[in-house]
Amino acid sequence: MHPRKIRDGVHRGVIDGGNQSGIPYSRGWELFDARYAGKPLVYCGTVAVMPITSAGRPTAEKVVRAGDVVVMLGGRIGKDGIHGATFSSVELDESSPVQAVQIGDPITQKMVADFLTEARELGLYSGLTDNGAGGLSSSIGEMATFTGGADIDLALAPLKYPGLMPWEVLISEAQERMTLAVPKDRLEALLELARRREVEATPLGEFTSSGRLRATWAGKPVVDLELEFLHEGTPRVPLRARWSPPVRPASSAEAVAAALGEQRLADAPGAIGQDLLDMLARPNMASNEHLARRYDHEVKGLSVVKPWVGARQDVPSTATVMRARHLRPEGVVLAEGVHPHYGDLDTDAMARACVDEAVRRALCAGARIDRLAALDNFCWPDPVQSEKTPDGEHKLAQLVRCCEGLRAACEAFGVPLISGKDSMKNDAHLGGVKISIPPTLLVSVIGQMPDVRRALDLAPIAAGDLVFVLGPTGRHLGGSELARQRGLTLPGVPTTDLAAAAARYAAFASARDAGLVRSAHVAGRGGLAVALAHMAMAGELGLEVALGDALLRPVPEDMPLTPAEFLFSESTGRVVFTCKPAAAAELTARLGAHGLQALGQVAAAGPDGGGWLRVRRGERALVDVTAAALRERFRPAALHGPPAPLPGQTQEVAR
Amino acid sequence: MNPLAIEGAAEVRALVLTGYGLNCEAETCAALQMVGARVTARHVADAIADGDALAGHQLVVFIGGFSFGDHIASGRVFANRLRFSMGERLLRHVDDGGLVLGICNGFQTIVKLGLLPGLDPGLAQRVSLVMNDRLGYWDAWVRLAVDRDSPCVFTRDLPPTIELPSRHGEGKLVFEQGPLRQVLEDRRLVPVRYADETGAATERWPDNPDGSPGGIAGLCDPSGRVFGLMPHPEAYLYPENHPRWIAQREAGTLPEHGLGLHLLAGGVRAIAAR
Repeated sequence: MHPRKIRDGVHRGVIDGGNQSGIPYSRGWELFDARYAGKPLVYCGTVAVMPITSAGRPTAEKVVRAGDVVVMLGGRIGKDGIHGATFSSVELDESSPVQAVQIGDPITQKMVADFLTEARELGLYSGLTDNGAGGLSSSIGEMATFTGGADIDLALAPLKYPGLMPWEVLISEAQERMTLAVPKDRLEALLELARRREVEATPLGEFTSSGRLRATWAGKPVVDLELEFLHEGTPRVPLRARWSPPVRPASSAEAVAAALGEQRLADAPGAIGQDLLDMLARPNMASNEHLARRYDHEVKGLSVVKPWVGARQDVPSTATVMRARHLRPEGVVLAEGVHPHYGDLDTDAMARACVDEAVRRALCAGARIDRLAALDNFCWPDPVQSEKTPDGEHKLAQLVRCCEGLRAACEAFGVPLISGKDSMKNDAHLGGVKISIPPTLLVSVIGQMPDVRRALDLAPIAAGDLVFVLGPTGRHLGGSELARQRGLTLPGVPTTDLAAAAARYAAFASARDAGLVRSAHVAGRGGLAVALAHMAMAGELGLEVALGDALLRPVPEDMPLTPAEFLFSESTGRVVFTCKPAAAAELTARLGAHGLQALGQVAAAGPDGGGWLRVRRGERALVDVTAAALRERFRPAALHGPPAPLPGQTQEVAR
Repeated sequence: MNPLAIEGAAEVRALVLTGYGLNCEAETCAALQMVGARVTARHVADAIADGDALAGHQLVVFIGGFSFGDHIASGRVFANRLRFSMGERLLRHVDDGGLVLGICNGFQTIVKLGLLPGLDPGLAQRVSLVMNDRLGYWDAWVRLAVDRDSPCVFTRDLPPTIELPSRHGEGKLVFEQGPLRQVLEDRRLVPVRYADETGAATERWPDNPDGSPGGIAGLCDPSGRVFGLMPHPEAYLYPENHPRWIAQREAGTLPEHGLGLHLLAGGVRAIAAR
């Protein structure tokens, strides 16, 4: 199946699942690498606000008592999703079973969610777990640990169609199902409400203190396992990891100089501007607005900094901000970091970069620095040494180093990991070739802010404002977008000085809270050049940047950077922000010790009424482009063409 | 975050119907609370079972979402359920001077129910909302030109243009054959139209996201008390909902309340003023 077809299918699934569930879209992006043809990764996450207490009970506590009834709620059980969890952890080939995939129905899901909220307010259940991987075996098995056992009869479970074996009923991962623990005296009320809400609820048995998980089929025993064996019975497998840094033949000095050196600029003065335009059109950099606007950004009416910002709302926001509740000023900030290409060089550096970027993005939008939390999602190629995986020790070492980097970064920034997930067998044999995905860590950060009216976005606000970059730029082009664009192997994966970054962010957040910062953005993939391009498009104002000698002096001290290196380096830890001229002195006093450097100035819109970006080195203009020209390459239709038509719709080209 | 004070609003009782895949109850209830009305959110199933759910309410709101998954066609299943359970009561509610607001899926529902355009007695569907001309579901803010001469009570106090978020896949209005469209235009039953930068009604995408003829984004009945529109006033309650609120603040043009709130306030004010 062509990746484009898979991608369109994923997009369609997110449209239906998200929109019909009434969940506003907040963040989204695509990242392409040929190796994801082995297994495309899809990360979808949701965040919810819950009341601290409900029906007089703290909602954070799960209370299941022996004698509570086991109730299955929602969709029916079918053969879909059998071995789904195993399936997501094995190699795919043409014989992979279609039925391993669960087929969801978002409206059933929405009705279940509404029902659960209503039943919770009425105190009709005491505990619940969703039927995810492993289906009933996992949800009931897990809840049974609260009381020390459960007895269920699988023949009671409602089926989509007859013919399922008991073991299939037990492990099917058919969607939209929850398992509830219901006190006996609430059961009738719960079932009555379910009838009125047209949500199917079925008692399957009860929680016990027998120490065993027992299942029968119309009275005949089919499962009888000790809970302790079920949860603790798996022996630990000792695995060996061996780290040897990857050795890649670097591109020749001549090739590097031809791409990044000063001579090229003398020969072709507009070369960097052209590099930037070409970069914005690359799949990993171009706008995906045409995909994102198929999602509902506004339901619940809480959006503050939207997924798309700027004068034309066509620039992806640094982080999004939503009001947490109606009629209240507090906000929630969401951001993320993902850098699989750094992982090719060093997964420790990748993990640091991911946490750093997610934190930095959240801070740019206005998050409290002491109220951040993170979520880690690992997708890895099989890291267990075997005949099929002769490099398993290396892949495991990559995993170990990634965990070490993740831990170090989270500790340095004071960010707890409050949830996470992993998927460990992302390999495929396609046409006799083994394809392993690049080790991929996604770090998502959630932050609080006390008042959404203090939120910032990346659009410069007024001509005359000053543009600063906070945080040093080094020669960090390893795994960079520019390296891929130019087909070069460059040294210098961005390492992150965590202690320095943490101190820098504390100083930045304090200056931001003092009202000194007017707009802020991160320098990330594509470096400062791309960050400035985003700002020029968003503000529809001019950006005049001058590269003085001081800017081109790298940290740590080394040969001076060439302008191309400076503009496309992906050094972590950097924030680009604008401020009023009057604030410059105080900002310099507060941030001077943290690598604050003046980049230039915001200027009036160009003759076409739009933004522009000019970067000078002395008298020479290295970049001189209008926002219209940037937009021409950045906008989605330039790269992907229009999205596939929905069923029943004729295809038409977007404007 | 000051409430928008309306004198007498505390006497206004609004009913918001929820469930079956509808999903805008939180913001719709918040809006009505912000203008001081008393709001009851009720599951459609309970409202139908009650038989007398509308009693005592002067405003009934059909909210946005995907009622019954919008399978078959948007709002179709919900409209049929209503027709055979509380259709007569809804008609009586309107005849007795009650207000009805339908937003997005709610608009689709009351159009398919035949409550709009409401030119004839009884419930007969004479217009429909069909698949957008291009790209299907699309989330973006739109500009609406407001007809100040429309009888619509909700839009009376709005400025000549307002911006609201729009997000739907089936919003293109189609009419039965014959003079109906002209009748609606002549009687000023089109309170809001998609507008371009100059404020003129437009049929061009993306200013008009669905290709609705004449830019028609909403309809009201001849009494002005029944109003439906595709864009979402309940998602612009706070000034900070606007995509350019930071720029508006810096330019000194940030309104005190979201302009969508004023639309809901118009309905509540019309009731409170009686």
